[in-house]
Amino acid sequence: MAARTRSGLRLSDGTPLKELVRVEEGRIAARVFTDPEIYQLELERIFLRCWLAVAHESEIPHPGDYVTRRMGEDPVIVVRDRAGQIHVLLNSCTHRGAEICRASRGNTREFVCPYHGYRFHLDGELASAPAHEWAYDQRFDRKAFTLHRARVGTYGGLIFATWDASAPPLEEYLGDMRWYLDLLLRRTAGGVEVVGAPHRWIIEANWKTGADNFIGDGLHTFMTHRYAIELGVLPNDPLIGWFGWHISIGRGHGVAMVGAPERIPLPPYLGLPQELWPLLERALTDVQRRVLERTATIHGTVFPNLSLLNTTTITTEEGVPRVPFLTLRVWIPLGPHRMEILSWFLVEKEGPEWYKEASRKNYERTFGLTGTFEEDDADIWVSLTRANRGAFARKYHVFNYEMGLHRQPRPKAEWPGPGDAYWGDYCEANQRTFWAQWRHLMAEDGG
Amino acid sequence: MSVSATLSDEIYLQVVTFLYREAYLLDHWKLEEWLSLLTEDACYLMPVRITEEGIGSGGFLPGLYHFEENKSSLTLRIKRLQTQFAWGENPPPRTRRFIGGVLVHRGDRDHELEVTSSLLFLRSRGDSPDLGILSAERQDILRLTPEGLRLARRLILLDHTVPSLESLFIL
Repeated sequence: MAARTRSGLRLSDGTPLKELVRVEEGRIAARVFTDPEIYQLELERIFLRCWLAVAHESEIPHPGDYVTRRMGEDPVIVVRDRAGQIHVLLNSCTHRGAEICRASRGNTREFVCPYHGYRFHLDGELASAPAHEWAYDQRFDRKAFTLHRARVGTYGGLIFATWDASAPPLEEYLGDMRWYLDLLLRRTAGGVEVVGAPHRWIIEANWKTGADNFIGDGLHTFMTHRYAIELGVLPNDPLIGWFGWHISIGRGHGVAMVGAPERIPLPPYLGLPQELWPLLERALTDVQRRVLERTATIHGTVFPNLSLLNTTTITTEEGVPRVPFLTLRVWIPLGPHRMEILSWFLVEKEGPEWYKEASRKNYERTFGLTGTFEEDDADIWVSLTRANRGAFARKYHVFNYEMGLHRQPRPKAEWPGPGDAYWGDYCEANQRTFWAQWRHLMAEDGG
Repeated sequence: MSVSATLSDEIYLQVVTFLYREAYLLDHWKLEEWLSLLTEDACYLMPVRITEEGIGSGGFLPGLYHFEENKSSLTLRIKRLQTQFAWGENPPPRTRRFIGGVLVHRGDRDHELEVTSSLLFLRSRGDSPDLGILSAERQDILRLTPEGLRLARRLILLDHTVPSLESLFIL
C-alpha cells in the first residue's frame, strides 16, 4: 500500500513517487505510464479533484437533454433541467447503485431506476420511491437520497465538472489557458458547436500518452506522420513542426501555436473561410487577432485529460483546398493500460455550409478511429504502453524529457499572449509543466 | 424496395461472388484491384452510432461519420499504406471478412441493385493472441456496367458504438 511520509507519497515498494518525476532534470520514469498502483492513485488524486471536461453545451441544447460520460472511471449523466441549468450526476441509484440512465444520449423528464423504481428529478433530487409510506414506515427522508452531484462549470460552451468541493472555481483552474481557449471556442460571437455524436473508441494505451503528446509534441509529426510527408500532404522539411510558440501555462496546462517560416505563405486565421473573418475580428482582441493571423496549427492540453487540436495543414483528397478543423478530446482512463478516446468535432455555428462539410470530412479522415493521423499516434501509444509493463522497464527505464530544458521563455515583446512562451515547438517545457502538476497532485499536495 | 432475387437467380450468384471477391481482395491487401471495383462516383460511408432508448431508433444521429469517403480519398488512404509509414498497418495485420445474409433487390434504377449483407471482420495484429472484432450491416448499391458489377455506394452500419480497436483504415 502507498503511504504518506515526510518526503511525500511512497509507493508500496518504498519508492518515493516524486523520484519518478524529475522534471527539473528532464527525466520521467517509464513506470508512471504503466504501474497499476500509480493508476489507482491517479483515479483518486487527479480524477476526484480536477475539473474534467465532460460535454459541450451544444450536445444538450434543450431542457431534458442528456449525455452519459465518465469522470475518471465513474459514469455520469450530464443533463439540462427544465430551467436550463446543467447538472452532472453520478449514474448510480442512491438505493442500490444500479445505473439509472442506460443510453448514451437522449431527452427525458426524469430518471427512473430500473431496479426498484426510485425516480429522480433532472437536478438529481429524489422525486419518489415506490410505496415508501409502507416500505419505510413513513420515515422516508427523500432529501437524503439525492444522486451524487458534481460541481459544474462552463467555459466557451464546454462543460466541466469536479467532485472536489474545495477545488478553485473553473475560471481560476483554467487560468491563462482561457486566453487560448477563446481563440478556439469564442473566436466568433456564436462560438462553435459539436457536430453529431463524438467519436468514441478504446485503445490499449495509458491515458497520459495522449495528454502528453497533445500538450507540446511538435517533434513527433515528422516521424509519426511520415506517410503524410511521403505523399506530399505535409511539407518535407524536418522543421515543419518547429516554427511556432510553445507555451507553458502553469497548473499543468500547455498550448502551442504553430505557423511557418516567413517565406511560406499561410492563409490568414488558420485558413478559416473569409465569411468568418469579420466575425472573428469583432470577437477577438487585437492581440488575439494578430497571433491567429499567421497560425496554422494550435495544439494543447488542459490538465489532466482534455486535449485540443485545430489545424489547417492536412489535405485528405487530391486537388481539394485545405480547410481547417477543430477537435477536442478527452483521454478517459479505463485501467493502467487502457483508455477510451472521446473525440468531438466542432465547427463555427456561423460558418458557411460548404466549410462545415469540408472541415468535417477533413477531421473524420485524419482523426477519430479511422483517421490516418490518429491511427499513427494510437498505434505508437499502444506500443509505448505495451513495452513498459515489464519488471525491468518499470524499475529502471527512464524517459528523456530534456528538450528545451535550457531554453528561456521569450519576453512579452516577442509573444504577446499569456504564459511562458518558448520559441520553437520542438520543446518539452509543456510536457514538464504537465508532469510537474501531476507530481504536485500525486505526491506533494495534501489531498 | 421491389422484387428480390433468389438463390437460384443468376444475378444473385453474381452479387454474392462479387462480395466474396471483394472481401478476398481486401483480406489479401490487393487494394488497388479492390479500388477498381468501385465506380468513379462511389461513396463509402460509416456513420457514428450511439446507444439510445427505444426499439427501432437505430442510434444513428445525423452529423458525424467514421468513414465519409469518395474514390479520391480512398485512393489516398491506400497510397498511404504503400509508404510503409502507416504505423497502424505496418507490419500488416491479418484480416478475415465473413459475408453472410446477402439479400438482393432490384433498385429504383434499372442498372442498379440494392444489396444488404452482414459483415464479420476479424483482425489479428502483431503477436497478440487477441482478435480485433467488428460486425456490421452493409447496405450497398451495385451498378451493372459493361465490365461487370461495380460498387457505387456502401453504407456500413456498425454494431459497435465504442469499438475496441486502435486503427481502421477500411472495413
